[in-house]
Amino acid sequence: MSKFAEPMVRLIDELKKLPGIGSKTAQRLAFHILRSSDDDAEALAAAVRDVKASLRLCTICNNITDVDLCVYCSSATRNQRLICVVEEPTNIAAIEKTKHFNGVYHVLHGSISPLHGVGPEQLRISNLIRRVEGGQVDEVILATNPTVEGEATATYLSGQLRRAGLKVTRIAMGIPVGSDIEYADEITMLKSIEGRREL
Amino acid sequence: MALKESEAIVLRTYPLREADLLVTLFTRLEGKVRAVARSAKKSRRRFGGALEPLTFVRAYYEDRERQELARLDSCEVLESPLSSEVSYPRAIALGHVAELLDELLPEREANDAVFRLVVAVLARLRGTEVWMPITYFELWMTRLMGYLPELSECIACGRTLNGGRAFFHALADGLMCAADKRLASSEISAESRGLAAQMFRAPVESFAGAPWPKAQAADLRKFLLQTLQRHIEKKLVTAAMLEKIS
Ligand SMILES: [Zn+2]
Ligand SMILES: [Zn+2]
Repeated sequence: MSKFAEPMVRLIDELKKLPGIGSKTAQRLAFHILRSSDDDAEALAAAVRDVKASLRLCTICNNITDVDLCVYCSSATRNQRLICVVEEPTNIAAIEKTKHFNGVYHVLHGSISPLHGVGPEQLRISNLIRRVEGGQVDEVILATNPTVEGEATATYLSGQLRRAGLKVTRIAMGIPVGSDIEYADEITMLKSIEGRREL
Repeated sequence: MALKESEAIVLRTYPLREADLLVTLFTRLEGKVRAVARSAKKSRRRFGGALEPLTFVRAYYEDRERQELARLDSCEVLESPLSSEVSYPRAIALGHVAELLDELLPEREANDAVFRLVVAVLARLRGTEVWMPITYFELWMTRLMGYLPELSECIACGRTLNGGRAFFHALADGLMCAADKRLASSEISAESRGLAAQMFRAPVESFAGAPWPKAQAADLRKFLLQTLQRHIEKKLVTAAMLEKIS
């Protein structure tokens, strides 16, 4: 028999599904929620519901957004002919931090990962190909992570994109190999974009 | 406890808690070891690219009292898979080697023959030419794990298969002659059986240079994968991906 009442067990089980949350932390959070005011608990529940109800993927770039198109794709001041390809929506923040990139993005939502059975067909590549085939794009910068998976993804994409006859570049590896661009500081990230090389 | 030092191949990593990584290593010293790399997920300064799958490293780790997982102290890169271009076929081939090792090797049991095999095969796994090293690796792994049946005689009647046709079946443990083959068997050509015999006599380097299209020894690889998958009782994720490479 469980030592907690059923609704508590349910909350702990849900919290445990979050990344980085083990049993102990889940219990601590659950008790914190139990002790908090009704308003706070309701606000948390509403925020969780709203994030699912109001957020979706931008139909052009797959970025997470509450309006379609996203802020980058709908911007009149950003260079829509320059696309930076990233693995995850969170990677965009790392590039925005540099304040030197004025193009737009394309989010793959993952990278080629043979050990997880993830091939190109599981990534959001087809709408990237459609974007460049329209002839509205001058350059695609591949800013996938400097890992085996990120490199495999970049190599695969450059093969696909060059067929469309446009300039394809890869960010420079000022970013330590094996790392995630999400954790790169803005100087390193800036140098990586400036030092990109053509593939 | 004392820090151990060993050459090792990184097999795979899993995120653990907020900042750590759980790393599976194939060490020369004591075989497959699972270890925690503290803060490896957020601060890559300590481990750099050393924890990428299939990196050949010198690892320093220690066992912890009453803990199943060792603590990975540091890794020095001896050879990184990122030092040559990661083509799509190569990425899958590297993943295949990692998956086979992870699935087939028991924990904490040194196996120097397998270790030398991996190092030699990884050195050949460059560019987009993957089929020769993959065939060599699958063949030798099957043999070194003790799963490879005699390829020259029929398991049913014991007669020699040399000079004749040979067949295999997903549920049978060896090759069969034309008279004894089961329904829905596949054939393995004399040429592929000859290649296997050659591969047992020569190092992987001696097969480099000559072209090796996907179709070459595809029947042998199918037989090997069926044999391996029957022993581990599961489908290999990377086997299906390899199949799709053109
Ligand atoms: Zn967008
Ligand atoms: Zn027979």
